[in-house]
Amino acid sequence: MQTSRDNYVFEMIRSELSWALGDEYVQSGDADKLGHSIDYYWVPELWHDRGEKLPGPDFIVHPGTAQEVSEVLKIANKHKIPVTPWGGGSGSQGGALPIYGGIALDTKRMDKIIEIDPLSMSVTVETGINTQHLEWEIEKAGYSTMHFPASIACATLGGFIAHRGTGVLSTKYGKIEDMIMSMEIVTPTGEIINTLPVPRHASGPDLAQLFLGSEGTLGVVTKATMKIHPIPECRKFHAFLFKTMHEAMAAGAKIMTSRLHPCVIRLYDEAETAKLIKRVLGIDKQGAYLVFGFDGPEGIVDLEMKYACAICSEQNPEDLGTEMGQTWWDHRYKFFYPPYMFHMPQAFGTLDTVATFANIENVYWAMKKTVTENFPQATFIGHFSHWYEWGCMLYARFIIDEPPKDSREAIALYNKIWDMAIRAAIKEGGVINEHHGVGLKLGRIMKDLYGPAFKVLSEIKETLDPNNIMNPGKMGFKGV
Amino acid sequence: MNIENYKDVISACRFCFMCRHLATIGNVSFKESDTPRGRALIADKVLKDKQHLKNQDYIDCFYRAELSAASRKHCVSSYDEASLVRAMREDIVDAGLEPEKVKKIAEALRQSGNPFGATEAGIKEKGTKGKPALLYYIDAYTLYKEPKIAESFMAILEKAGLEFSVLKEIESSGKAFSCMGYRKEAAAAAAKTLSAIRKTGCTTLVTSCPASFDAFKNDYQKQGAALDGIEILHSSQFIAELFKNKKLKAAGKTVKISYIDSDYLKNYNSITEAPRKALEAAGFELVEFGSNTEESYAMGEGSVVYDQVNPELLPKLKGRLLEKSNPGQEIVSASPYTKYAFNSTPGSTLKMRSLEEAIAGRIS
Repeated sequence: MQTSRDNYVFEMIRSELSWALGDEYVQSGDADKLGHSIDYYWVPELWHDRGEKLPGPDFIVHPGTAQEVSEVLKIANKHKIPVTPWGGGSGSQGGALPIYGGIALDTKRMDKIIEIDPLSMSVTVETGINTQHLEWEIEKAGYSTMHFPASIACATLGGFIAHRGTGVLSTKYGKIEDMIMSMEIVTPTGEIINTLPVPRHASGPDLAQLFLGSEGTLGVVTKATMKIHPIPECRKFHAFLFKTMHEAMAAGAKIMTSRLHPCVIRLYDEAETAKLIKRVLGIDKQGAYLVFGFDGPEGIVDLEMKYACAICSEQNPEDLGTEMGQTWWDHRYKFFYPPYMFHMPQAFGTLDTVATFANIENVYWAMKKTVTENFPQATFIGHFSHWYEWGCMLYARFIIDEPPKDSREAIALYNKIWDMAIRAAIKEGGVINEHHGVGLKLGRIMKDLYGPAFKVLSEIKETLDPNNIMNPGKMGFKGV
Repeated sequence: MNIENYKDVISACRFCFMCRHLATIGNVSFKESDTPRGRALIADKVLKDKQHLKNQDYIDCFYRAELSAASRKHCVSSYDEASLVRAMREDIVDAGLEPEKVKKIAEALRQSGNPFGATEAGIKEKGTKGKPALLYYIDAYTLYKEPKIAESFMAILEKAGLEFSVLKEIESSGKAFSCMGYRKEAAAAAAKTLSAIRKTGCTTLVTSCPASFDAFKNDYQKQGAALDGIEILHSSQFIAELFKNKKLKAAGKTVKISYIDSDYLKNYNSITEAPRKALEAAGFELVEFGSNTEESYAMGEGSVVYDQVNPELLPKLKGRLLEKSNPGQEIVSASPYTKYAFNSTPGSTLKMRSLEEAIAGRIS
């Protein structure tokens, strides 16, 4: 149901929301609606840029507690109106867009740190907290979350939980699903539940992992207990320039399969090295730029660094030394600020995926071939950002400097690239996404990715959310 | 439209989230529209269709902005989101669409020279007769709300054996006008104040008010009223120099305090060391406030008369500040506005002191 501002039901819902939260925390003004109708997804940006009307919420609410979230969801169930959770709004997949109107449930007011437990090395925190604010507070207490995504200053902890986000140091400290120990969740029907207090157990299936990555379709995560870490004695970096991406990939994979423990490895393909490494870091070289880092006690760091450098040297790369590695770390977020980030009128997308070491290069080449052969107007670049013991993540991007003037034509082209490139990745052993989520953008591919298993996910959704109020139309689930 | 001069900012900020953690008002209102991105989206809509300028919700949003410039300071490309807000306010004023409360404050400034409509200053007259080289400019907040700041600074000057004259903000310096969008009134006020300053024959101009300091240092030149040949200093810089030149000496035991940066000193003029040096020279041990050096805790100082325009938001700003403060830690500010806005807002027994008051009590 999409309410109209002038009808009686609209005012009734507003009254009920105001009774639950207070007038101050229920908004329906144009300024706030505009802000909540555009996230980091390219399509609403394009529509706004072209002066077209965007779908937006009827109400924006700012609950301050899990109980208030519960009240909002009960009201939404009563009136059968959609609820779309919104954290920082910086997701790139359209997951936070209130595409059917209704209520945008903005979580940012739930921003309190409840407890830092130095003995267990954990923090319990409300999930609307901005992750940079969280990191600052944890650092002040003498620790770190070690969660350093490019969107650290943009996003909320709840946003990362919603779409299984990750940070630069994921190779050592894990993705958000590895960092979270337990959660408080308000289910779609308004019950407040908790997952088990520890992340490792044999007390049945892991309920926490069901909600991690559910993108607000199964409820609202209101509180989380997260691991924290000591500030390492040192963190050191080293960079190499390989003749080819293949040689660099072999070196990166060997570092991981040798079971060294880098906190980060990042490998840029030749195209991205020439385009972005030059532009942002000022390193003007031909080849594939590989940087890695280790942190911890200096003696261990130096030893692991020595072994990792020796592995790289087997391929005879150009040794760029520590300085050009440190430069990358110092400027790691700069890539995402204007004017360095791609921007209108360009059409661009991050085709991120993940695969085993056996498959990842095939995934890369399949995506690259699909994009460059079918869409000659597009540039394809990529880097490998998050490395595991078994494989790594590909952060591939396409950029079209001059997309069609007509919005529909531009969006059709954009969707076609996404569709073909992601399907090409899946065919080679990749998946829809590694850390940006599914959202609105990729929902249509979920059924194909999961096969019969998607029925299990759909039935969980239907059971938990009988009125389909929670973020309908996302992740491949039913719309309104 | 004035915002046309900021097309680059609109284009850069409208889809960028990278500074939202420093959106001072956004951090307490939680509204998307209270971030540089939210405001740039609105400005973009207005650029595309001027009719949107009449939208009262959009207008309110632009007058809620605190102009701390923390986001601009953070941005790796320094996109000037603060000037975009001022430009939008100018467009709103040019169209006669500013909110009634803003009109009232502007009228008070025209009639009385201050935003309160006050006519009696509670300050004790000091200063040397004649035309000394040093002029102390007393802004409206100090003059009418925080006279102890001026008294403390003048006591410091006397302790250092300096001759000085005083110029009070009986007529607006123009900074409040300019922040509210009254460009012409701001330029006229700047010309008048410049003339009054020139008449004193000073070669050094000192003020305790960071906003006035910024007006003299940066705005006046753009408004055709450059203070050429006059050294312009904030009181904290002047005091730090007095200690450096051994004109002042600290007395008493070391005391721990936290210093809150002024928006106009830090984000508009990159002055962070002088206040800290002055306080340390006076024997204070500084404990950094909050958990970072980027967020603004200046209570809306950037908008100069924020307490008058948005009084309902002050308890939220004060709440954020208290949330970040160390328990029992005394807080010092180099901004008369910040001190007044904090102390006059209910919510705690904790009182903020000015840098001048803190130092005046600790010198021999």
